[in-house]
Amino acid sequence: MADSFTTMQDTVVDCRASGTATERASEVPARALLSRVEDIEQEYGQSVPGLLRRIVVAAVVKNPWVGRRVDDLSPGVESMHRELAPALIQRLVSHAGGKERIEAFGKGVIVGIGGEVEHGAALIHTPHLGDLFRMAVEGTSIIAFGELRAEAGAVLSIPMWHTRAAATRSHYQAAEVHIPDAPRPDEIVVALAASTGPRPFARIGDRLTD
Amino acid sequence: MKVRKLVTLVQETQAEGGEPLSSPATVAFAGAVITNPWAGRGFVEDLSPSINESAPRLAELLVPRLISVLDRPVEAYGKAAIVGVNGEIEHGSGLIHTLQFGDPFRNAVAGTTLLPAVEKRAAAGTVFDIPLKHITDMTIRSHHQTFEVRVADAPHPDEILVGLAAATGGRPHARLREFGSDPS
Repeated sequence: MADSFTTMQDTVVDCRASGTATERASEVPARALLSRVEDIEQEYGQSVPGLLRRIVVAAVVKNPWVGRRVDDLSPGVESMHRELAPALIQRLVSHAGGKERIEAFGKGVIVGIGGEVEHGAALIHTPHLGDLFRMAVEGTSIIAFGELRAEAGAVLSIPMWHTRAAATRSHYQAAEVHIPDAPRPDEIVVALAASTGPRPFARIGDRLTD
Repeated sequence: MKVRKLVTLVQETQAEGGEPLSSPATVAFAGAVITNPWAGRGFVEDLSPSINESAPRLAELLVPRLISVLDRPVEAYGKAAIVGVNGEIEHGSGLIHTLQFGDPFRNAVAGTTLLPAVEKRAAAGTVFDIPLKHITDMTIRSHHQTFEVRVADAPHPDEILVGLAAATGGRPHARLREFGSDPS
């Protein structure tokens, strides 16, 4: 097992360091990238007006810190997100049909059981991902998030809230990420989520109406 | 036909077995969660009126959605029908095993072979695996592959989840002997 981890790590490093763009799948340091789009047409038998789309994009990456104690995680974060953050954001916005459509957002991470939860936190609670995401959708809120350390195939529910008014209850909602074969013990799943609107037929009032 | 939800999944594999791929191995799924057209009607002997109504519309809905998320031509395909627990598997089979559903997909991707399928009756959130095979030659082993799907809240007991899956290539780093060349 340990050998294959080493191979995976070396390969990812190698494929970024050499060769031309056409000689490899992409610059993104991920084993796999996943996108999930759900369009909600009806809720409880009633048609939902407009396009209500929830999107999750996720990347399966090698945990750069697995198996050793690392105090300063920032070089690994910066190196990872040079390509990863733009790739995830681009896919998310593209599935939404444009940044102006995104009203709620969230982020999530599943750390494989060989890693520290802190490793996952480092990859999502960073300006190298969060600020880029916020700017890309012209948001101002901090980004809702979920963290989990788990075996491959775990389901993580990623919370979302409004991109500019986090206390807006109508936009509290969640979307799931679930990848059958990830994360392996030495991998991390990094995910972003977005919604183009509120919950269908949101009607639980607000802080001002309680 | 009442559509509650549409789901699209895209998986881009960039490395397998620790070796990077020269281009991503992409597999995608497009599915629709619809009200079972036969729900609440007891045993319906002749399924064809509702099949004729729903199957072409499902194809119209799903084929373009699936193709739009793929950046290269489709080389392998498959389909799925997951029936909510109040229905008959026959209901799901009715909707997908008809030329009215399969032909628009085959024609859109210039396929000629049968679409491999999964049919299942299950509760919402069930995991199902869609088998895929090559679009013009079912004996091409490199393109035998499976794609897993789960929709947390579907199908409800009176719903059916109908889906199509497509891949732009074979398995990552496929390297099995060709059909018919195995040592005896």
